[in-house]
Amino acid sequence: MILRKTIFRTIKEKKFQYAGVIVLLVLAVMLYVSLSMAISTLEERNNAFTDEYKQESFHLVAGQDLETQQMEEWERAYDVTLEKRFSKDVELGEESTLRLFTITEDVNRPYIGEGSMPKTGEIAVAEVFATENEIELGDSVDIGGEPLKVSGFVYLPDYIYMIKRQTDLLNNPEQFGIGITNERTLDNLGGAKQVQLLGWTENGKIPDGIQTEISQEVPVLQFVSSGENARIQFVESEIEGSQTLITTLPLFILALSIAMVLMLMKRRLELQRKEIGTLMALGYRKKELRNHYLGYAWFIGLTGTGLGLLAGAGFSVPLSNIYADFFNLPPLSMFDWDPMILVIGLLIPLALLLALTAFVISRTLRTEPLTLLRPKEMASGKKSWLEKLPFMNRGSFTTKFRLRLLARNKARSLYIFIGVMFSTVLLLFGFIAFHSMERLVTTTYEDIQTYDYAVYYSTLQTEQTEEGASPFSMAEITVGEDTKANLYGIQPDTSYIQLKSDEETLNPELSEGAVISRPLAIITGATAGDELTITNGISENELTVEIAGVADLFIGNALYLPKDQVNEFLGYPQEAYTAVWQDGEPQMSDRVFLVEDKQEVIDSFESTSGATRNTVAGMAVVAVVIGMIVLTLLTNLIVEENSPSISLFKVMGYHENEVSKLVLNVYTPLVILSYFLSVPIAQMSLEQTMNTLVEETGFLFPTDVVWWMVVVGFLTIVFTYWMSLMLSKRKLKHVSLQEALKKQQD
Amino acid sequence: MAIHVKEVHKKYQSGEVQIHALRDATLEIPDHKIVAILGPSGSGKSTLLNVIGGIDRYDSGSILIAGQQLETLKDHQLTDFRRKYAGFIFQQYNLIPALTVQENVEVGKELSERPLDMEDILTKVGMWDKREKFPFQLSGGEQQRVAIARALIKNPEFLLCDEPTGALDEETGKKILALLKYVNETYGTTVLIITHNQGIGEMAHKVIKMSSGEIVESIDHEHPIDPEKVTWS
Repeated sequence: MILRKTIFRTIKEKKFQYAGVIVLLVLAVMLYVSLSMAISTLEERNNAFTDEYKQESFHLVAGQDLETQQMEEWERAYDVTLEKRFSKDVELGEESTLRLFTITEDVNRPYIGEGSMPKTGEIAVAEVFATENEIELGDSVDIGGEPLKVSGFVYLPDYIYMIKRQTDLLNNPEQFGIGITNERTLDNLGGAKQVQLLGWTENGKIPDGIQTEISQEVPVLQFVSSGENARIQFVESEIEGSQTLITTLPLFILALSIAMVLMLMKRRLELQRKEIGTLMALGYRKKELRNHYLGYAWFIGLTGTGLGLLAGAGFSVPLSNIYADFFNLPPLSMFDWDPMILVIGLLIPLALLLALTAFVISRTLRTEPLTLLRPKEMASGKKSWLEKLPFMNRGSFTTKFRLRLLARNKARSLYIFIGVMFSTVLLLFGFIAFHSMERLVTTTYEDIQTYDYAVYYSTLQTEQTEEGASPFSMAEITVGEDTKANLYGIQPDTSYIQLKSDEETLNPELSEGAVISRPLAIITGATAGDELTITNGISENELTVEIAGVADLFIGNALYLPKDQVNEFLGYPQEAYTAVWQDGEPQMSDRVFLVEDKQEVIDSFESTSGATRNTVAGMAVVAVVIGMIVLTLLTNLIVEENSPSISLFKVMGYHENEVSKLVLNVYTPLVILSYFLSVPIAQMSLEQTMNTLVEETGFLFPTDVVWWMVVVGFLTIVFTYWMSLMLSKRKLKHVSLQEALKKQQD
Repeated sequence: MAIHVKEVHKKYQSGEVQIHALRDATLEIPDHKIVAILGPSGSGKSTLLNVIGGIDRYDSGSILIAGQQLETLKDHQLTDFRRKYAGFIFQQYNLIPALTVQENVEVGKELSERPLDMEDILTKVGMWDKREKFPFQLSGGEQQRVAIARALIKNPEFLLCDEPTGALDEETGKKILALLKYVNETYGTTVLIITHNQGIGEMAHKVIKMSSGEIVESIDHEHPIDPEKVTWS
């Protein structure tokens, strides 16, 4: 059809407007495809590794070695595969810890990515740890004076997220990594050896009663199911949590881009009313005209989704690599080009765009050709209900004109409002995420946990602690029906932990009841004054405690009570303890099960702040780009639509700045209003998202909005608006008097 | 193709006032002739042209063209009717600005099962040399020539011209009228021209005068004058 030529010529003429909506569409599709593909690859690799290398269903840390005969009896009794594994934490250089495991054959089987399985005198280490510590295959590393050859790079199914302690939030492969070696080599290394029992069942569930039976035979220092194991669970939380991001963010951008396309289409149909009327009079059928105008949507849709798919597929490669570095997963499946993602990425935006554009077109095509051939003002000269409001006719000419413009462009005003809101929310998400990391470190590790080291023992301790150390008892409990938590029995007068809520210290409240962490409060829905029932993970004793307060502890499910009360509940002697907090560096001994160096944790956070800063900068750029496109498109259209009035103002002697004030700056209060309304919306929506994710992740990011965010966000949005005004003012400057007046005559 | 209009009545509402645009209009338009409909603004001449062309509906009466009662046709049938039989020429030309002269004419050509030859038509309206130009590069008279070519290339049975010279000066206007006469003589196309320019009536085979929605007079000219001799008013 010859009319098709007009599509390309119009798009070429209005290239900025069409490029703007295409960029929005590309962004939406690209984000969806790249994130989906990366997550799909991650999921595929995780599933393959978990199944093929028999990821544990549970593991326990035993206080003593386990008899093979005893293990075989349990295997028979509970239909479970059990395997013993030894481990040692060894120092590598001054700052790195390598956790070496013995090689297993039935559960948590190691995958050698490069090189070979280590023999005596050899080790295989995690590749990402090797890279960070500049270790290459074949290198000899010095461990406690023993030179060991690196025979290969290894991945373990129970260390997919490679963190030192279960409670760690961030991994830091420069400081901590895992490796494997044989038992003989491990024995030759100094230091205490830990005994682990790994369990695997067909359905992944823990057989009823096995934990109790094992704990009757050997001291169980820790029992962790795969569902509670952060090293396993974190990748699954990431996959699940990302689903919201994958769909929500692209959907919002898609909605914005479709709204912009529809607006452009409406404008095009308005401009071509007479042409449409003429074509109808000549005998063109509605179907033919609808197909012709749908050509715009096809062009925008195919270009946007096509480029988006290409860019998304391209970006998914580096994104998958980032995930691969973050999670210690072997490349069991290469990039997962899930055809469904491509189909959804192409079809859904295209289908939505075409369907909604067809709806807008058919509204115009329902009009009689004669009506279309007449000028619009004659066809319908009705005032909107807003224009009939009494205050619309008060004030100076400038005020009345501006108010009327707002009232006549309700849709434009709404889109400006939504565009600013979307950019603000995106911007603030970045700011809040950036700030919450700092807040989390400051509150948790500086204000609340004031100790330098936490030393966890493998057996109950009763002897007097060293001067300046504060003993505490810790055990795993179940809160309510099935919420797992750590119970801390602390000395209420300890200076090493300050259970703070805002500025108030809750330690004195421990005499009244328990103090709980924020994630636990969210999951259980408990607040001060409520009661919670806790169950001892091993003895199954129950205790109902009243909540005295919720502390600003954002990581983990924790419940604090006085030590005496906890010892009584756990059946420990009154003076017993399982761990101490102290400032002095602890001496390693056989009694010590784990040492937590708080500075290491803080360093881990700081080492990742660069990545967070980049993410925030990226989000700010996307927010500004989206804001800029939406605002410029809208203000541009406003200039275009009001060109007859602009022309008249110019003829009458108004200066360009005055015309600009009348026509363009009218939206400034709307932009400001939208911004300040969006700030609490961003805060609330992020808080809500965090709350829904807390059960999966076990931590809660504080979502406070502080003054600098509001100021920087405001300046960014105002800058974006100002830039779009500048661009539209150029258009306003080019409105020709003759052309505009002619348009009015038509 | 003869056009039979019988007791056609059309009214519409303008605010609180009811306007009778056509009051029982009855006329016969003979085949292959030029018919001029004259009358002042608001006399109903445009409404009459629109109902004959099938772009407007009427409240009562009947119009019979090519064996089809227009009042019985559904919207899509009316579209097919226009596609097959009618060619429209507007006062403001209504060309598509993004298409060249030739492409604008192709817009009409695509609708026809038996279109005329593009080069022949554009040559006859004197626009072949300017076929690559866009409408904004043409004068008003040239744009109207293109509009005539667009209507003509479909090879329609009748041309409906709504003030075709209304936006043109005398010299150009007369050239357009000469072109319409040429079309009528060469292709046998019935030409209906509505105008408030009384002089144009002199070149028509039949003149219909309208006032307040009524046909007040119908005059047949056995020897219509040449367009260049028309008294321009």
